[in-house]
Amino acid sequence: MEIEILGKGAFESALVHLQPGDTFVSESGAMFRASANVDIDVTTHSRSSGGLLSGLKRLLAGENFFFSTYSTEDGQPGQVGLAPTHQGEVHLIEMDGSSDWLCAGGSFLGASSEIDIDTQFQGFKGFLTGEAPVFIRASGRGQLLVAAYGRIVSNQVESELTVDTGHVVAFEETLDYSLSKAGSSWISSWLAGEGIVLNFSGSGRLLTQSHNPGEFGGELGPRLPKRSS
Amino acid sequence: MQFDIGGNPEYGDLTVTLDSGESIWTEAGAMSRMSSHLQLATRLPGGFVQSAIRKLVGGESLFISEYTAESPGTISISPASPGCVLERELRGDSLWLTAGAFLACTPGLSLDPRFGGLRSFFSGEGVVLMEASGEGSLFFNAFGGVVEKSVEGSLIVDTGHVVGWEPTLEYRIKGMGGLKQTLFSGEGLVMEFMGRGNVWLQTRHVAAVAGWLTPYCSG
Repeated sequence: MEIEILGKGAFESALVHLQPGDTFVSESGAMFRASANVDIDVTTHSRSSGGLLSGLKRLLAGENFFFSTYSTEDGQPGQVGLAPTHQGEVHLIEMDGSSDWLCAGGSFLGASSEIDIDTQFQGFKGFLTGEAPVFIRASGRGQLLVAAYGRIVSNQVESELTVDTGHVVAFEETLDYSLSKAGSSWISSWLAGEGIVLNFSGSGRLLTQSHNPGEFGGELGPRLPKRSS
Repeated sequence: MQFDIGGNPEYGDLTVTLDSGESIWTEAGAMSRMSSHLQLATRLPGGFVQSAIRKLVGGESLFISEYTAESPGTISISPASPGCVLERELRGDSLWLTAGAFLACTPGLSLDPRFGGLRSFFSGEGVVLMEASGEGSLFFNAFGGVVEKSVEGSLIVDTGHVVGWEPTLEYRIKGMGGLKQTLFSGEGLVMEFMGRGNVWLQTRHVAAVAGWLTPYCSG
C-alpha cells in the first residue's frame, strides 16, 4: 500500500493507493474521494479488538464512534482520498512494530488494517492535558496517518522536551509525560499565560503542531454570536 | 541567539536557539514547545501602570514572558492566529503595532502602550497600540499573508488589516468617502497614512472571518 500526502501547508490530504487485498481504516467521514471499485464498510473495530465498547471509548478520545474501512472489490487497484476536518498538515508514520504510538486530541486520521487501534485512558492527568482524556493507541507494523491543526514538527526527544497543552499530536509510547508548570511557581506560570505544560521524557519521536486550536478559538470566539442553548 | 521563522504564510511560528545565559521575551501564552530546562519569569514591560493600561484597553496580556537558558536550548513561539510571522530589526528606531500583533523580542526593547486617539476606538482595532523601540529584534504576527507597503505620499487601508507601521508616518482615521460610502461600501472606517515609511498589512481580518463563519455555526 502506498500513501501520498497531497497539497502543502494548511490544506494537506492523503491519497491511499489500495492494492487488491489491502484494507485501510479511517475515522468515519474522512473520505472525500474514492475510485468506483472501492468498497466502504462501517465498523466499530479495526482488526481484532472491537465492538460497541471500543466505539464508545473512541468517542471519549475525541474521535468518531465508527471506523470506515476501504478495500477494492474487483481485484483491481483503487484509491481513497482522506481529508482531515481542520486546516493543517497530514503526517504519515511508518510503524515498524517496535513501539506503539499514542495519538492525542483527535489527531488520528487512518491506518492500514495491520495496525491495531485501541484507546488508552490517561487517568486523572488526562483531564488536565488540554486534550481529550483518552488517547488513541496504535500498535503493530504498518502505516498510520495523523492530522494536525497547523504545521507538524517531528521532534526526536532524547532526554526531555516541554510542550504546551494543545500542541501535542502523537508520540511514541517509549516516551513518558508528566504534567508540570512552565515557571518556577504556579503563579508565574499562570501569569505567563502558560498554566499547565506537558513534560516529555525518555527517548522517542514526538509530533507537535505549530498552532493551538484553543488559542485561535479564543481569538475567534468573542466575535461569534452567543450560542442560544 | 538564532532565529528561525518557519511555516509562513499559513502557519508561521518562530523557533529561537538560545546560548547559555540568553533570554527571549514572548507574548504571554505563546510558547508551544521548549527545552525543559528553560527558566520562565514574568515581566511587566514599562512598569505596572503601563502594563495595566495595556491590559485594560489594549487587549494585550498584562505580562510578557521571559524565557532564559542557563545552558543552550531552544524554544518555539506561535501566535494564536494562523498567518505570517515577521522579523524587524530595530536600531534605535521604533515600530507601532496593533493589538495582538506582538509575538516576541530580544530583551531590552521598550514596549510602550500608545493611545491611538479617540477615533481608533471606533475602528475595531482597540484604542491602545504598542510602540516597540530600542535596539534588538522584534517579531510580530499577522492573520493571513502580509503585504509590506512603502508609503510615499499617502495610502488608505482598511483598519482591520493594519498590523503595524513606522512612526515616521502620520495617520488619521476617517470614513471612506462620504457618509453613504462609509456606511455601505463595506469598508467602514479606514486609516490614511501620510508621509514616508513602511506599513505592514494583513490579508485577512479576524472579525470578517467570524462574520462569514457565523451563519454556519448552528447550535
